[in-house]
Parts: sequence; C-alpha cells; structure tokens
Amino acid sequence: MTFSRRTTLQWLATATALSLAHRGAAATIAEPKAFGAPPPFKVVDWPAGVAPMAPAAGYGRDPDLTAPKVPWPLTLTKAQRATVDMLGDMILPADAASPGAGTLGVGAFIDEWISAPYAQQQADRATILAGLAWIDAQARVLHGGDFATGTPAQRAALLDALTVEAPGADMVRPVAFMDRLRNLFVLGFYSLPEGKADMGYIGDQPTEGPYPGPSSDARAHLSALLTTLKLPAGKV
Amino acid sequence: MTATATNGADAAVDVIIVGSGAAGGMAAYTLTRAGVRCLILEAGRDYDPQAEVNMFAPESDAPLRGTGTSDKPFGYFDATVDGGWQVEGEPYTMTEGSDFRWWRPRMLGGRTNHWGRHVPRFGAYDFKPFSRDGLGVDWPIGYDDVAPFYDRVERMIGVNGGPIGLENHPDSPAGCLMPPPKPRVPELLIAAAAESLGIPVRAAHTAVLTRDMPDKVAPRSACFNATPCTRGCTIGAMFQTTTSLLPMAKATGKLRVVTDAMVSRVVMGARGRAAGVEYVDRKTGQRHTVTARAVVLAAGTGETTRLLLNSGEAGRGLANSSGELGRNLTDSTGASFRAFIPGLAGRPRYNEDGIGGQHIYIPFWLYEQQKRGELDFARGYHFEIGGRFGIPSDAVLPRVWGKDLKQAVRNASGATINLTLRGEMIPNKDTFCEIDPTVKDRFGIPVLRFAFRWSRHEVNQVAHGRRAAHSVFRRLNGTILDPDLPPEKIMTAGGEIIHELGTARMGADPRSSVVDGYGRTWDVDNVVLMDGATFASGPHKNPTLTILALALRASERLATRLSSGALA
Repeated sequence: MTFSRRTTLQWLATATALSLAHRGAAATIAEPKAFGAPPPFKVVDWPAGVAPMAPAAGYGRDPDLTAPKVPWPLTLTKAQRATVDMLGDMILPADAASPGAGTLGVGAFIDEWISAPYAQQQADRATILAGLAWIDAQARVLHGGDFATGTPAQRAALLDALTVEAPGADMVRPVAFMDRLRNLFVLGFYSLPEGKADMGYIGDQPTEGPYPGPSSDARAHLSALLTTLKLPAGKV
Repeated sequence: MTATATNGADAAVDVIIVGSGAAGGMAAYTLTRAGVRCLILEAGRDYDPQAEVNMFAPESDAPLRGTGTSDKPFGYFDATVDGGWQVEGEPYTMTEGSDFRWWRPRMLGGRTNHWGRHVPRFGAYDFKPFSRDGLGVDWPIGYDDVAPFYDRVERMIGVNGGPIGLENHPDSPAGCLMPPPKPRVPELLIAAAAESLGIPVRAAHTAVLTRDMPDKVAPRSACFNATPCTRGCTIGAMFQTTTSLLPMAKATGKLRVVTDAMVSRVVMGARGRAAGVEYVDRKTGQRHTVTARAVVLAAGTGETTRLLLNSGEAGRGLANSSGELGRNLTDSTGASFRAFIPGLAGRPRYNEDGIGGQHIYIPFWLYEQQKRGELDFARGYHFEIGGRFGIPSDAVLPRVWGKDLKQAVRNASGATINLTLRGEMIPNKDTFCEIDPTVKDRFGIPVLRFAFRWSRHEVNQVAHGRRAAHSVFRRLNGTILDPDLPPEKIMTAGGEIIHELGTARMGADPRSSVVDGYGRTWDVDNVVLMDGATFASGPHKNPTLTILALALRASERLATRLSSGALA
C-alpha cells in the first residue's frame, strides 16, 4: 500500500521536529515542491506489449555463495541505459550526503534486475521497458526529442507528472512504471556503501562481548518519546 | 537400476539414522557417545559451513542485491542449498483446493542450517491439550517427563534468555541459559506500549551463544553481534548440527555419514522387525540396502511419513495399524503486522544488529481468559518482535523524487516496527498427507500429496492477534501498514512457517497413535521416530527445542535397549 502524499509529508515534519540534530546538514528538509498536479499535456498511449525475454538460466538452487555471479545476459541498449542513469540522478540526486544514483552506477543494477529470469523480475522488465519507451514517446510529443535531449525543466515536468498522488486513467500505467523504477533505485542505491552511509546506517561490524545495546543518544530519544506518549518504560 | 548390499563386516552398524538435522544430529550424538555404531543417511549433499558460508559479504555483492528468488527463496546468501520450496525432480502434490508449502533443504544438517532459533519450552498445558479444552489428543508424556531433557538440551546447544514467570511458560532452572542480549529501541518501545495494555514482554529464548562454549572437537564462540544468522555461522554461535553435534559424533569414531542417500523404504526382516533400509544414491540413481539392529527415522515430518507410507504393506504402509499415519498434520499459523511510528522517524543511529533475531518477544498471555470461555479460539499464539534500521519499505516512502526522496529515506529508516504472529493449529480431519497414487519422483519413489485447511480456531486466533497488534501500534500513534482484509487472507499458507508436525503422533494407545512416548512405533519395535512427526499437538511455541529434547530422550532409551540385548 502506498500512503498519500499528505500522510508521508506529515511524517517528514514529525521526524524533523523530533530529532535529527545528530545528523547535521543532511537533516534539513526542504519545503516540498508542489508535486501532484495533473499533467498539462495530452498523454501518449502506453506502448504495446514488450516482447518476452529470450530464455536464460538463473543462478540455480546451489550457487557458489563465496563467489557470487550474475549469469544472465543484460537487456538495456546503450541509449536505454543512459536514460536510466539520467533518471537515477534525478530520482536520487547528488547532495552533500551522497552521490546521485545514476552516477553511482545503480543503472547497472536496474539492468541486472530486469534481465533476471525470475517471475517478479520479468514482470518488472515489461513495466520498465514499456515505461522507457513511453517516456521517450511523451518527450517527443512535448518537445520534439527523446527524454534525454530535453532541458532539465522539461525533464522535471515529466517526473512531476509521473509522481502525482492520484493519476488520471491515462497516467495510471506511466505512474506505476515510475513507482517501480523509483523503488528499484531505492533498493539498488541504499544497499551500496554510499547509500548506507547516507542513511547513517551503523552495523555489519563484529563486536566482541555482550551486545552493548542502544547508545546514550538513542536511549535519551526513546525516553523523550515515551514521555510524549505518556508511557512508563517497560520492565524488560 | 541394480541393488547392492553395501554393509560388509567392516562397516557394521547398530543403528541407521535417516536424516541429519535436529533430530538426526541429536540421535547420532547421543547414540555414538553411548558406544553405539551409527550410520547417518542424509538425502542432501555434504555441506561444510566453514567452507561455504559467506558471512560477511554485503547484499550488494549478490545478484539482485540478495533478494529472494525461486532458486533461493530466503535470499542469495541464505544457508539453504540445493533445495527449498521445490526440489528438482522431486515434486509433491496437493489435493484440489489445498495450498501447502513444503520446505526441503537437501543438505547435511538439514533445516538447522537455516532456522528461526527461537526455542521456547512447551508448558504443562501443551502436553495435555485435550484435558484442557477437549480438542485433539493428550500426549502420553507430560512436562515433567521432558523438563530434565529441556535442561540438558539448553546447555548442550547453547540458549540465551531470561525468566518468563507466566502461566504455561516454564522457566529454566539456574545454569541452563546464557545471559540474554539487551533489547533494542524498537523492542523497548513495543514493550512499553504492550505492558501498558496488559500484554507481557519477556527476553526470548534463542539458540545463539552469548558466551563461548569450549569443546575439544567443536568449539563454538559467543555471537559477535553481526551478520545474518540465516546465512549460517562459521564461528558456531548459532546452533546448527553441522558445527556441533555432527562433528562431535564423528569424533567418537562410531559415526559414518553417507550423503546424497535418499531413503526409499524400510526393509523388513524376521520377527516383525526392520532389517534396515533401502536408499537411492541421488547422484548415480543406484539402489543400496543397508542393515542394522534398529532404524531411527529423523528425516523431517513429511519425509519420515512418506518413507513409512512407502514401506510395508502396499496401500497402508508400515507401522500404520492405527490408520493415523499421515493424519493430524499441523503447521503453525503465521501473520505479520507492521506500522510506521512517526516518533521513531529520524531516530539516533547506533548498531542495532545484536544477536540477529529478536531479543525480546510477547508470550501468550490469555490462558485464564481462555479457560473462562472469553476467547473465540482455543490454544495460543505469540508475537516475535521486529523493527531495525535499514532500507525503508516501499510502503512508507512517499511518491516523490529528488532530494525529498533522499530525505524521506533517511527519516523512515528504522521507523517501522513489526509483530509477527505464530500460533497453534489444532489437527483437523481435512489436513493430512498421503501417497499420491500416480506421481513418482525421479527415482521412482511415490510422492506425498497434501491436503490442508485451517479451522475457525486458527482464523479467529489470527483475527485476535491482529486486534492485539494493532492496539499496540495505535498506542504508539503508529500508522498501520497492513491491508484491511479478512483474517483468512492474511494468514500464511499451510507449511509456510515450516513447523509441520503430527503425522505419526505419539500416544498411550496403539489404536489411536503411531508411536509410544519414546518414539518407538507400536508395530515395529526397532523403528524409532525422532522428528516432529511424533508430536501429538503443535503448540505455538517453535518446535525445535522439543524435537531435540525428545530425540535425546528417545536416543537414550534406544541405547539402553540396545545394550540390554532387547534388540539382539
């Protein structure tokens, strides 16, 4: 289920109010842009079905776990990959905390994903390839060239149209495409060291001796939260 | 295909053990230490965690960032190899309208290489459920019979935890448990909310070492608070037979292990006793027969049952004079609940890995209300507690792009909490397994066909659990993320929790049970069952600790019988 923009923006506001001081510059939240407007253009048709992928082998039930490999061939053409990289740098752009997802190479993960011979990935392949065709077709109608040749403002206007809260009937599939692509970029980006660092993730570090438990900062935050919620601390 | 007898005088064995997981590992360990010569036949391949487990690689090293696929359902690096929900050339079938999942690792150590590690003891009520509510059957043994074996198993495998002090949740005597880890922030938050609503929270009992466990053969180290347990544990902190009971049994010189050995049937000999078993070499397809004084079946509930049904009298099976073989199948109920907690958004970071799974949990707390008839379901459930830093799920990220999305991820990381329900299923007449009359696996062995149905007890139990979980979330001003569906639609499929039990249940009466209180089949006195098939009921408390305790108890009994000459 996807939450409404209003709900999630409320979460952002609550989070800011509570505590992000320890996170420095990355903690500030910009005023949200006015997303959600219906597209001020005539929407082109969703492309006809994507041809199924040639049969390919998965990694099998007993791969060598100490030497992971991707055995299947990739899908994206050079031009498609460039568009995906560009979209990656728009969806998760460079800022003070981390590079853009396209620049970081997450586009290669998108290609790996949609090329995998498993049911979920094959369903995503149809969505993503159709979506890439759609976004170019829409760009050509709007400004006479593929998505990648548009101005930053033209490309941003398209992404805005692809992130409306309640898409009209003709935008349902394009918006579903962007939802899927965005979620794949989130997975691909935040599972990399740069993405983990951006989230402030601490872990994957062997620590001898008993587990130390929450830091004093974390305990203080919990304490304040319990007070706000009028809850006594548990006995565990 | 040719049949060959493989055990000559140099390879004489007293006991054949089918399977090398919790039950088979415990049988091998206990019997070899008593001087009994054992042969383990394991259907899966040989497996060495030291050589094969990739503990430290980030998920980004794996294809698809480690995401589960039909090849590796629990993720690329998951310890389960060469099996899973499907095994190539070894199908199973289902009756029309049934949905049943059958998890079959094909590897030395079986399911202990990947398991939940939550090891609560069954309580007094759990062994006598019929006496309490008139449903199902009582076990022929009670808590007091099993308690000394729980004590020993906890010390043997290494369990951390704390006191519980609640009705039907027995505490371990001093010296059995290692100290539990400190709870994490989301766990402490859930504890505060739950306790304010009268729902208890306690340290979980978990089969992960929090102190070193020295041993000459298989020394195991305390958990170093990192890496996912389900990948397997090369330092031996998580209990799995491949780093503990199996190497210890091998070191006695009394154990031989043959892997890729798919046992097809029990072979009968003179005087109504089993002579041994026939197995198929999964690599060559060749059939072999091995003989011994006794046969221990520890292949896992489904495979043990299949093996007996495929033995003995055609159409009826072996050790089935009661007609109960294959009946009384249960799995645990499962459902997951989650909420976004605004108060946790953007919370201070710290290392939340801990010992892998939950540190604290919610034990069933409504026995009194149930006794008074205030609940619309019988038996209990518990909640396992979750919520950690990590990549936020799609469900809590807004439909935005650009710097707002990056900020949303930072805020949402660590702000979702989970309560995962595991509950008891009561055996019903529509849930069973049997031999499929037409389908065979690639070795020509007839396969199992499952029939599965939840009853109103389980459906009402899950509905109750959802109300309880949501009351905790609401107390925390949480935004509930669960779809609004009828309870039937949010329950896991049969078998999905991988707690299948009961298809060769123990009892006091041979007319209504397959084995006695020590796992010995009523019909064939040198065939002993030691896995979950023998459970007379399937309490919500995860079964592995009880499988280990009953296997220890049954193995000591078998060793005594062997040394007394009873099975000469």
